[in-house]
Amino acid sequence: MRTPLIGLEPQQWLARFGDELYRYALGRVAEAGMAEELVQDTFVSALEAQASFRGQASERTWLFVILKRKIIDHYRRQARSPFVPLTLTPEQLPEAEFFRPADGHWREEEYPAPWDGVGDEGRGDVLVEQAEFQHILKSCQERLSPQHLAVFVLRFVEELPAEAICQELGLSPSNYWVIVHRAKLQLRRCLEKNWFQSPPAS
Amino acid sequence: MSIPSPLFNCQQATLLLERRADAPLPAKTNAQLWAHLRLCPYCRRYAFQSSFLARQAKAAAEAVVPADLPLPVSLRARLQQLIDTHEAGLQQE
Repeated sequence: MRTPLIGLEPQQWLARFGDELYRYALGRVAEAGMAEELVQDTFVSALEAQASFRGQASERTWLFVILKRKIIDHYRRQARSPFVPLTLTPEQLPEAEFFRPADGHWREEEYPAPWDGVGDEGRGDVLVEQAEFQHILKSCQERLSPQHLAVFVLRFVEELPAEAICQELGLSPSNYWVIVHRAKLQLRRCLEKNWFQSPPAS
Repeated sequence: MSIPSPLFNCQQATLLLERRADAPLPAKTNAQLWAHLRLCPYCRRYAFQSSFLARQAKAAAEAVVPADLPLPVSLRARLQQLIDTHEAGLQQE
C-alpha cells in the first residue's frame, strides 16, 4: 500500500497557486503559449514527484522550485548554440559596432548619452513613466539573440549566480562575461533610442 | 590568464565592469579600472546605466504581467483533467 502523502493537496493546486504560477512564467518568457507549456510541465512533474516532497518547504515553494527548473530548462534549450565565435577578426566582432577595434575607444556615434532621471554622479533614480519604461525594456530584451536573452534573463530576472548559469548553459566564465557585456551594450542602445531620446508624450 | 589593461580601452573597461559585478577583480586591474572611470565620462555613464538595467530587469519582468491575470480557461481545464487522471490512478493502486 502506498504511504499517504502528507502535506500535498493536488486538488487544491489550481485554485491556490495556478494563477500565480502562470503569471510568474509569463513574466519570464516571451510568449503566452510558452508560459502555458511551462506551467503544464510543472504540474506533470509535480504530480509525478509527490513522493519526493519532504514537507521541509511549503507546497507553494515546492511548486515554484519546479517551475523555476522548467524555466532554466527552457532557456537552456533556447540557448543551445553554445558556439560563440571568439575567433573572428576584431572588425567582425559584435563589439566593433560600439568600439573602434584599433584602440577600443567608444565610436563617436555610440557615446552613451545621459539618461534623464537615472542616477548619475550620486543622484538617485527618479524615473517618470516607470510602466512605459518597463515595457520598452522588455521589448528590447526580445530583440536579443536567444543565447544573450537566456543569459540576461537567468542572471538579472531569475537572479541565478554566474557559476550556475555557466554550468546550465555550458559556458566558460570568459564567454559568459562577453555575453553579458554584449547583451548590456545592445539593451543600453535600444533603450536610449526608444525611450530616453523620445519619451512618450505625456 | 592575464587581463588586458582597461586603462585606455573603453571596450575592456566596460567588460570589466560587468565582470566585477560577479566576482572581485585583481587589485591592479581594479585600480586601472578606477582610474579609467575617473577619466572617461562615457564609461562612467555606462557603469550607471548598466547597473540601472540590472536593477530594473526583474521589476520589468513582473510589471508587464497584469497582477490580476488569471490562468487561461483552456489551460485550467487541461490541468484539472491532468490532476483528476493522476489522482484516480493513485487510488486504483
